[in-house]
Amino acid sequence: MWKYVKKLEYPVNITKKDLNMAKSMMAQYGGPDSELGAALRYLNQRYTMPDEKGFALLTDIGTEELAHFEMIATMIQQLMKGATVEELKENNLSGYYTQHDHATFPIDTSGVPFTASYIEATGNYRADLESDMAAEQRARVTYEKLINQTDDPDVIAPLNFLRQREIVHYNRFKELRDYYLNKFRG
Amino acid sequence: MYNYYNYPQNNNFEGENFKHINYQNDNLYNPYQGLIRGNLFKNLYQPYKNEKPYEIKPMNDQAKMLTDLDSLEFAMIDLSLYLDVNPDDKRALDLYNKYRIENEELLKLYQDQFGPLLLNSDVLNNTPWMWDNRPWPWEN
Repeated sequence: MWKYVKKLEYPVNITKKDLNMAKSMMAQYGGPDSELGAALRYLNQRYTMPDEKGFALLTDIGTEELAHFEMIATMIQQLMKGATVEELKENNLSGYYTQHDHATFPIDTSGVPFTASYIEATGNYRADLESDMAAEQRARVTYEKLINQTDDPDVIAPLNFLRQREIVHYNRFKELRDYYLNKFRG
Repeated sequence: MYNYYNYPQNNNFEGENFKHINYQNDNLYNPYQGLIRGNLFKNLYQPYKNEKPYEIKPMNDQAKMLTDLDSLEFAMIDLSLYLDVNPDDKRALDLYNKYRIENEELLKLYQDQFGPLLLNSDVLNNTPWMWDNRPWPWEN
């Protein structure tokens, strides 16, 4: 089960409206390499890991991704706060406004809704962990492209935090993959 | 509480909140320095474009205590991922428990003073029900 902690993993306080940035941030909310995808990927893969190390690591990283999903939602919500219909229209968000208004909704930057086909669960530890390593790298690159689009420190600080978490997760998955390859060799 | 932060790139701020605690470890950042980097492990830290980490400047006592909690909980998260794969590392295990105990004490102090972060908090033994008190984490 899960318990809610009434705080964010890392503080987010964005006061400058930036609709273009809000739209770009959707990549990490409902895109193929989004935090939502990461959480669902690991929390589904954990059941078929070979032993307790995999059970623990995929449960814990999957749980942290849910906290990141909450951070991204907070950022999008604050970036859009107070935007008028006119401003949303100017930023090509009239379609979004029509269907979702100021709600957060997991779509990608082009408006494609999140789908389960973004995640993998093959039942094979090597296939799953290597796809997890690649997913962490893709998310890291996405964060770099997001950082390139803003000079607001209130936006960059949490993006830097999230980018760095991808690097740590990549290394933990790699450690686990190497441990299993060694354990099951031959 | 979340409207009391900003992120100046002030390079000589050494984590004032943690000056009273000696967390000497050659391989790890202290909890606050880890939080602002998103990484407790010095060997894994790779800043983008060689940027310096953004300092978190809490602007009142509540935000200050919450930053300490964020730091300790972050250190616990990062150490737990490491321990999942390296369960025999005694130094990491001892450090995890040091932070865990510190976190437990600070969490109680924070909740007594500023309201519940968890549904098992003692402060929920008050009328009216405090869980729904604002601000919620996404509010600025």
